[in-house]
Amino acid sequence: MPSSEPDDLKRLRERIDAAGRKAAGEQKPATPPAPMGIAFRLGTELISAVFVGGGLGWGIDWAAEHWASLHTRPVGLVVMFVLGAVAGIRNVIRTSQQISAESAPKEK
Amino acid sequence: MAMNPMEQFEIKPVIFHDPLFSIAGHPIYFTNQALFMLIAVAVATLFLTATVSKGRLVPTRGQSMAELSYEFVANMIQSTMGSDGLKFFPLIFTIFVFVLFQNFLGLIPWTFTATSQIAITFTLASFVILIMVVTGFMKQGLGFLKLFVPSAPWYLLILLVPIEVISFLTRPISLSVRLFANMLAGHTLLAVFASFVVLLGAAGGILSVAAVAPFLLIVAIFALEMLVAALQAYVFAILTCIYLNEAIHHANH
Repeated sequence: MPSSEPDDLKRLRERIDAAGRKAAGEQKPATPPAPMGIAFRLGTELISAVFVGGGLGWGIDWAAEHWASLHTRPVGLVVMFVLGAVAGIRNVIRTSQQISAESAPKEK
Repeated sequence: MAMNPMEQFEIKPVIFHDPLFSIAGHPIYFTNQALFMLIAVAVATLFLTATVSKGRLVPTRGQSMAELSYEFVANMIQSTMGSDGLKFFPLIFTIFVFVLFQNFLGLIPWTFTATSQIAITFTLASFVILIMVVTGFMKQGLGFLKLFVPSAPWYLLILLVPIEVISFLTRPISLSVRLFANMLAGHTLLAVFASFVVLLGAAGGILSVAAVAPFLLIVAIFALEMLVAALQAYVFAILTCIYLNEAIHHANH
């Protein structure tokens, strides 16, 4: 932008900027997220948590057997799998709360 | 005739047939994936610099597209992280534009979709999480670890802290899988319907006329894929904002 622009143009731009900020602040839920996007987001949250939990459990069993020669084989996997599933559900709840907070009109 | 819908995702060396160099005995090739990532960067850089270089007061079409994308990302950051999140604008804008251009480039026939490879999306996602962890510790010190400690009585924390840790570890995975799976699924679907057109067309007689149906479907799916390409770039960027927000502000969920 050239800095030598006339004063009235500058003032106009300030007003436009202010209007833009106001609009952005007030009508935040202008574009509600697409339903398919939400579904996919929740799905990946759940599935990936289960996988991470299972993977961690498997890793714990593997490490216990290799480094400490403890035979915990199924226990770690089972426990962490369940924890992973719980974390997945926690993720889904948190994400859906986030989405509804985003699309609900802001009070305050 | 390419009948394998997964063939489009094959990674192969291009331009140079010999490996460029090797790391610990593994040859590193210049692949089609690397090529299309470079093209995405080049096209994005060219587009953004060429359109705003004039800096007209009344923008041209190109300039207003560039300005719109700037404002879009700036608004996104402000609504999720507040004004002090604008420090991360260069990072988030880069991620957004990089993913967006890769997604859109991949929709052009005979190109390669770099974001359909989990290697790329997972690298991007781990990069984001790494930045989040580093800024979190820099801003909040050890208080960042409160992210893993929800407000609950101590006997529940024994159970809740591992859950929160797992939930944190899923972030790079869900972030990367979402982008990669969307691109993979969409492009596979397009290839499958395209092979229907070819097969029906080659069958002759009334079946050749029926080939119009999958062709029309391809047009519809392609339109959907345009939407998905933009939407996934947006989702990736906004989740980056949400994660970075937890790093710079106190977690209070």
